[in-house]
Amino acid sequence: MLRCKKARNALAHAITVTLGLTLAAGTAMAQSAADRAVEAAKKYSGTTLNVLYEAGLQPLDPKNFTGPLWEKLTGIKINVIESPIDQLFTKTMQAHKAGSGSYDVLNVLPNQMPDLALAGALEPLDKYVDKYGYRDELQKIAPVYRDNQMKVEGVIYGLPDDGDVLIMYYNRAIFGDAKNKAGFKAKHGYDLAPPKTWKEFAEIGQYLTDTLAPKVYGAGLFRQPGLAQFMFQERFRVAGGKFFNADTMKATINSEAGISVFKGMIEDNKYMPPGVEQWGFIEPFSAFLAGDIAMTISWPPVGRWAAGYGKGTEALNWIPETKIADKVGYALPPGGTPQLAAGFSFGVSSGSKNKEAAYLFSQWMNSEEISLKRVQLPFALRDPFRTSHYSNPEYRSRWSNAGDYLDVLKAGAETGLLDLSLLQTDRYEEAMRQAISRLWAKEDPKQILDDLAEQWDKLTKRIGLEKQKRVYNDWANKPNAYPK
Amino acid sequence: MTTSNSFADKLDQERWFKYFLIAPAVFIILLIGLYPFVKLIVVSFQNITMFDDELSYQGFIHYERLFEDDRLWESILHTVIFTIVALPIELFLGFLLALLFLERIPYKQVFVGIILLPTVISPIVAGATWRLMFDQRFGPINQVIAWFAGHEVKLLWNIEPILVWPAIMVAEVWQWTPFMFLILLAALSNVDKEQLEAAQIDGASWWMTFRKIVLPAIMPVMFIALLIRGLDLFRVFDVVWTMTKGGPGTMTETVSIYAYHMAFREFDVSYSAAIAFLIILILTVIVIAALRRMEVSR
Repeated sequence: MLRCKKARNALAHAITVTLGLTLAAGTAMAQSAADRAVEAAKKYSGTTLNVLYEAGLQPLDPKNFTGPLWEKLTGIKINVIESPIDQLFTKTMQAHKAGSGSYDVLNVLPNQMPDLALAGALEPLDKYVDKYGYRDELQKIAPVYRDNQMKVEGVIYGLPDDGDVLIMYYNRAIFGDAKNKAGFKAKHGYDLAPPKTWKEFAEIGQYLTDTLAPKVYGAGLFRQPGLAQFMFQERFRVAGGKFFNADTMKATINSEAGISVFKGMIEDNKYMPPGVEQWGFIEPFSAFLAGDIAMTISWPPVGRWAAGYGKGTEALNWIPETKIADKVGYALPPGGTPQLAAGFSFGVSSGSKNKEAAYLFSQWMNSEEISLKRVQLPFALRDPFRTSHYSNPEYRSRWSNAGDYLDVLKAGAETGLLDLSLLQTDRYEEAMRQAISRLWAKEDPKQILDDLAEQWDKLTKRIGLEKQKRVYNDWANKPNAYPK
Repeated sequence: MTTSNSFADKLDQERWFKYFLIAPAVFIILLIGLYPFVKLIVVSFQNITMFDDELSYQGFIHYERLFEDDRLWESILHTVIFTIVALPIELFLGFLLALLFLERIPYKQVFVGIILLPTVISPIVAGATWRLMFDQRFGPINQVIAWFAGHEVKLLWNIEPILVWPAIMVAEVWQWTPFMFLILLAALSNVDKEQLEAAQIDGASWWMTFRKIVLPAIMPVMFIALLIRGLDLFRVFDVVWTMTKGGPGTMTETVSIYAYHMAFREFDVSYSAAIAFLIILILTVIVIAALRRMEVSR
């Protein structure tokens, strides 16, 4: 009897505990990922997190908006450390090698993630993701970023946080002009509309330049090697090119696809404004805003700013006045598989003394709730990257055709192509940048690409063929490495 | 005998006291000057990259690589040609200016000050300024050429292979000719006037006076100026980096740019140490040869 009573008591106790735990867990899970991060981070109140950010407009978000808000909510101070984008990798690696623990939260360029992860500079995040119930929200990140910019060899090292993608912008007034439409159709036999192929792009560009120059040119694109290499990577793959032979790791950049793309890029310059060979980010941007070019391809902020979004914001007073605010058209670039050029994922430094707090800040920033606010900051360079961002009614009503803009970004987030990612990627990119600068110097495309392939092969040999092959195949097997 | 011994002791004491006084300075100089050099040599025999810290002795692998690295030798060739072309131009223009300013001219000090301004500017700023001057859209150079040509000119000074070196050369000569001018002006001002007057009385021609009196008098100073500028030109980095970054391709890559590239872009630390050692070796040979020649000419 006594034993029976004891057993009943134990059972009642167990049920009470189970119920209590279930309720507590239910309450916890009812919280948003952002709230969970805030609650958990409060125990680190009084500490400071050093956050490495790309210099320029990017850090205005943590400095002016999220940093102060996070401090108010958790008592954790955010110290933003800025670095030019081309030094982020170096600084991260140097801090790791020195064991300085200088940074807690890192902004990681996804194509450098394998290098950083395999060197041990990044903290694996799976345990934190599970501990703070963030897996469901990670699934709501647009597929191209979620499936390609988060893991290295199956382990989570970064929270994809930026929908960088190169999309096409065109001047609807020029494309809608009856005279232009009739003249173009008479010459080429199809309607004047955003081009679907590079052949169409060239025909439209040439026609508009022939008809409207010097007042307006058909197109203006990035040509400085650092940026033009993104366009080459995309176009090369659209033309059917592969960077390497997956079995031998021999560079195949000098294939017919590469040569034809190089020749095409040189030909395209003929209908672009004189001196286009020197154009970086600002030149096509300002020319498009001034109505001097009919088409351009660039990052998402160009599409927002061209439409006048953020006008009057102090941080954006350097932007030239847009003359085409109500005429901006959005489309995927020729081929329909835009380059996911650069982009950022949040990572946690393996040398951080506050890893958990660093992760919690990253989760909070990256969460559905907070990220929606961040991608709408007029001065921010973080672009929509969650499915909820694209469909958000508030964002879609920001300007007259903001919905079109978000639809194109969403389409890009399904078909976009990843930046080439290898061990010591920057060395391969540097060789590519040099090849492009030789192209503008009018050297023979085949010779340039043969030299590039030779340089790549030497690099691969020096880094280690098998090691590199493993990393390349990991990258090449991702869904968005090559067009389907 | 006792007196002589005590005198010798005193001399010894004084000598040791002198050594004692200069010892800290010598130690600091050795620390600053010699330690990095020794460290450089040590690193060049290891294999340190961004990803590997192989501190054990690796033999001569990086020195062997120097001989197989076509890009390195191309960059050395660019540097040598650049030095050979720029140095005489700077010397010639500097000398002409110095001759001009030997005469009494109004506001001489003001003009000298203005001429010297480019040397005060940081080379990186000078390079950036000249990059803008040569800019295809906003730069005044193309505009001036267009006025003379009578039609629009769109020369791509930083991209066209035929134009990049002349553009860099203009920037370099603009910045450093005043240095040559200043040194030569000082040397020419100190030429013995009595000898010049004697030559004039003897009916010597301008050329003869220059060759037999002026040139020997200014030669040591001119030699030092050439040596300083020659070494500077061999190490040129800033102006080329800001104007072309060594491009197009590697067409304007100098040895300093290549060393920087290997050290700070590719993080091939040990190989870049080997390159740095090679550069030090080349410059040491040049300096020793130049100083010997100066001794001989004396």
